[in-house]
Order: sequence, then structure tokens, then C-alpha cells
Amino acid sequence: MKALVIDDSRTMRRIVTTVLKDLGYETTEAGDGQAALDVLEAGDTFDLACIDWNMPVMDGLTFVTKVRENRDWRSLTLMMVTTESEHGQIVRALAAGAHEYLIKPFTPDALRDKLELLGLLPVEETV
Amino acid sequence: MIAGTLTVGREQILAISQDVFAAMIDDGETIVFERFGDVNEPADPIVAWVDMTIGGLGIGARAVVRTERTVADALTRALLVMDADEVVGPEDLVDAFGEIANVVGGNVKSLLAAHAVLSLPTVAGEAPTMAEHQFLQQIPLDWRGHTLVVSLWSLS
Repeated sequence: MKALVIDDSRTMRRIVTTVLKDLGYETTEAGDGQAALDVLEAGDTFDLACIDWNMPVMDGLTFVTKVRENRDWRSLTLMMVTTESEHGQIVRALAAGAHEYLIKPFTPDALRDKLELLGLLPVEETV
Repeated sequence: MIAGTLTVGREQILAISQDVFAAMIDDGETIVFERFGDVNEPADPIVAWVDMTIGGLGIGARAVVRTERTVADALTRALLVMDADEVVGPEDLVDAFGEIANVVGGNVKSLLAAHAVLSLPTVAGEAPTMAEHQFLQQIPLDWRGHTLVVSLWSLS
């Protein structure tokens, strides 16, 4: 399975990709929403995108909205991974088209649980 | 009204800091505690902060994390899985230490009584100039025998 990890912080991208790689994912990183859109427009396909909210150039909510506007990317599962933990923000993200929401800081188990909920655990990790 | 909007307790800041360090740095173990007694100002400080702006009210808060450069280096090595003797470059330091302030500040923001917009983190060698009346809250922390101080300031 393939994941696109979108965060302006290299530190946070490392944390997320480490967990995903341990679960068996191939990962690609992008530093903002626009860079992530560029990756998708280049034709790369992914099962999952983990998306920070607050980023320069293009924020995560705008990225989610743009992905949902393109029918070619309908199969991409979108998970916000962010410090934005207020109920109103979660509702906004889900309304824009995000499938799941993980609040920073998170444990590896919390990320794994979200992926299991989404049916996105690689086969060897599924219990 | 303003004071109530920005009220966040020391215990809440401590709990957030413990969660951040346990999840991001210390493999789930809580080893950050409140540090009691005198806290000296860092000789070679590194400061990271994020702003939370409540647009409708024209007010906001700033969460600041400060420590010694050597401690920020150690945190960066832990976050980026670097060797113990590896030299920490300025880009890595800004990214890693700034992300700590970002996650602490983002969680503090969720405790404010009104919706606020979070800024991107800023990292510098000295704290931004703040007046005494802007001070809201501060808690010194102990991480592996080192001192970090998390403080909250009003932007109004």
C-alpha cells in the first residue's frame, strides 16, 4: 500500500512515515498541499494521504477540497493529522471530504487503530 | 471577558507537555515533570513560539517554549533519530524544536474559550519582546534532568 505524507515539518513527516513503514507502507513525502497536488497530478497513485492542517503555500483543508473536486482521485483516503482538535475544525475537515481525523500528538497505536478503522492496514498487519 | 477567554491552567499545560513528549520523543513513557525550585535563565537560549489569534475578539495568546541550545539539540537528535554525537544543523533545529512548540501550542489552543487561528512556529535565539502585563502562565519542566520552560502570554 502507498501513502502520501503531507506536513511542512520534516520532523512530523519522519514520525508519520516511520509508523507507516513499520506497518508495511511505501511512503512519499510532500511539504505542503500544493507540493502534494503536484505529486498527484504527476500521476502517482496512493491509497492514503496523511495531511497536516497548518502549512505554508497551501493548507491541508484546501488540499482536501481540491482532491475531492477531482473525480480521478476518488479512491484516495484522506486522513487529517493535525493539532487542530476543536470540534468545529473536525467537522469542517470531514465536511470537506476527509475520511478520518488524528490529533497530534499521537501514538503509533493510535495511527494503526485509525488505519484499521479505515480498512487500510496492509494484509500482514490485519488481525 | 478577555482574561476568561485565555484562561489555561498550569496543570493543563503540564499535561499537554507530558503528552507531547511521551508521544513524540520518549516512546510513550512519561518522563517530563514539573520542575520545582529556582530556574536559571538559559546561558545559550533557544526559543520557539506559536501565536493563537482570535479574530472576532481582536485578542490572542502566544505559547513559548524555551531551553538551552544543548537541550534543543538533544531533542532534535531524538526527534530526527540522529546519532548522539551528530552535529545538529540550524535547519534541523528549527524544524524539530519548532514542531514541539507547534504541537504544544496547538493543544493549548483547543483549551481557549473561543476559536483561534494557529500560526506557523517561529524559532529564535531570544524570546520575542513581551510586556509584563501580557504574562498569563508559566511552568518549568524537567526532561531527563534538563530544564525547559513553557509559558503562555496574551497578545492583546
